[in-house]
Parts: sequence; structure tokens; C-alpha cells
Amino acid sequence: MLGMIFSVALAAQASLPLTVVNEQLTIEFTPRAPEQMGSFYEARGFPKAMRDILKKQCFITVGITNTGRQKIWLNLDNWQFSVNGKVIERQHRDQWQQRWQAMDIPLRYQSTFRWTLIPETLDYLPGEREGGNLILPFTSEKISLDARFATGENEEGEPIHIRYDQLYCAEDAP
Amino acid sequence: MKYRHRLVSVQSFMLLSTLLMLLLLDSVAAREPELPFGIREYSIGQAPNFELEDIDGAEFNLKSTRGRWVFLHFWASWCGPCRKEMPTIEALSKTLDADKLHFVLVNVAEEEDTIFKFLGIVAPNLTSLMDTDGQITEMWSPRGLPTTFLIDPEGRVRYQAVGGREWDQAAYLQFIRLLISQ
Repeated sequence: MLGMIFSVALAAQASLPLTVVNEQLTIEFTPRAPEQMGSFYEARGFPKAMRDILKKQCFITVGITNTGRQKIWLNLDNWQFSVNGKVIERQHRDQWQQRWQAMDIPLRYQSTFRWTLIPETLDYLPGEREGGNLILPFTSEKISLDARFATGENEEGEPIHIRYDQLYCAEDAP
Repeated sequence: MKYRHRLVSVQSFMLLSTLLMLLLLDSVAAREPELPFGIREYSIGQAPNFELEDIDGAEFNLKSTRGRWVFLHFWASWCGPCRKEMPTIEALSKTLDADKLHFVLVNVAEEEDTIFKFLGIVAPNLTSLMDTDGQITEMWSPRGLPTTFLIDPEGRVRYQAVGGREWDQAAYLQFIRLLISQ
């Protein structure tokens, strides 16, 4: 059974970060332009082959804060992204790892890359803020997110359902 | 007779009071310290051992810290909360007895020059180990960066700090002082 449903109109703001707020959590989304991400990884010595792939992706930095009094459970398997009603697949961090391994990318860069990603699963304690980058296939259309979070010490609480329709991929300035 | 009976009662009362006081003091001394915001118990058993070099090339083995509490901190210079937290770790390290708390910083997969420059500006009195390929960090699996683990003198992981904390604030200082005094 789905619990409270919070829709787009929650507290979406036009300025960055795009923010969704409810009584138990706050989610902030900051779309990152390819040039910005390319520069970030270049400054950390990432090989060009890796950067060329990353620059073609859609990066959105996500920060989640548990503002409630009970544990909140993030599981990206329970996040669905869609464009015009059609589901778009997010690449799991394991898929990225396989890709880097196949390219013989040094472990140092594989490790840094993983730490810049949002965790696939995490239990957020009250007051805790964690986040990281989400990588989606690039699109110039608006992206919808349908996200569910379990709550409570053992995920026994009322689930939280977030729907947000204003996500987008940032593009380089002309 | 009546006076003597009263004297015995007073003596018994005082003895009982003293015993109760001793019991109370004992329980206070043995109690777990109150957890400040962002610190949680994390009893996962023995700390996984590792060996790494620091930025000066000195070898470090975690087992060598037995007998002291260890403040094990995973960080990277590109991580915003790490940059904010590092000066507070340095401030904490200056106020505590190094014989009782050993600070072990582990940089995650960055170049030596990057670490050197960063610490030189942000926390010049601290040094860091270099997890050059990130594999020790993977083994420890912190929740994110930064993450701090507190390891007791017997080498058991006891607490975990969630995200960046202001270690020089009173609540954290009191908590750690109480830990290392036990």
C-alpha cells in the first residue's frame, strides 16, 4: 500500500537546486552540464577515454536529507525515470564498473568515480544528509521521477512516494 | 538501650547509604557516553586491518595502534563536507592526548600532490595515509565521504560518524574525552 503521495507541486522551485520537500525528507537536484563534469574529472586526472564517455551522459547531483524522526531507506531500484511516459534506464554502478574494467581504467579512477555516485541503497538516520551523482542517458526533454522510500527501523513504516516532473539534463552554454 | 538501638540504626543507615553511593558511582563510570548528533553505535567487531603509506612514505599498520582509541577518517579533497570538516579534526587533535587517541586519516584515491596541497592549506598539522587505488576504502565501505570510525583500544569498531561533523564543538569533545578516559 502506498502511503502519502506528494506530487510535483510540493515545493518545486525554478532556481537551483530543484527542491522537493515533504515532512520527512528534502531532495535537492542539481543538473550538471557536460563541460562541468568533464572539467571535474579532468582535474582529477581521469583518462580521456573515460571522460569522453562521461561527457555524453546526463549528470544530476542529488542530495537527500532526512528531516523526519524515523529512518528513511533509499533504494534506487525504487526510483523510476521517464520521458513523455516512456521509462528511461539508469545505469547501475555495477554496470559502470564493468565498463571501466573492460577498458582497463586504473583502479584509482574507478574508485573516485564510484564515490561520486549516489549510493544504490542507504538507510538515512534522522538529520542525515547524503547524496551523490545520478547518471541518466542524455535527453533534452523534461524527465519525470517516481521515487519510493521505505521508512522505519525495519522498513515497516508508511512508505513515502515522491513524484517530480521537472528534472532535466543541463547542457553546455552555447 | 533505646539510645544504643538508635545508634545501630544510624550506623546501618550510613553503611547502606555509602554502599548505594558506591554502586551509583560505579554505574555512572561504566555507562556508555551519550551519543552526540550524527554519531551512532557501530559494533561490527574487529577492525579490518590494513597497511598503507602516508604522504611522507612512512608505512602504517592499523594493528600498531592497539592500546589506544583510533579516529579513522576517510576523506577526499573533492568532497565538500570533507573540506569543511578537516579543520575541525585538526582542532580536535590539538586538544586531546595523542597517547589515548590516534588520528588515522585515509585519503581516497587521490594523487600525493593533491593531498599535500590540500592539507597544507586546510589542516597543516595533519598527515594522511594514501589509499592510492581506493581498495582499502572499498573494504571498509564507509556510508559516504567523509566517514569516521571510532575504534577502541582492543581494536573493535565501536562508533561511526555519519557525514561531516564539527569535531571541535563541545558535544563531540565531551563524547570523545569520555570515551578515551574509560
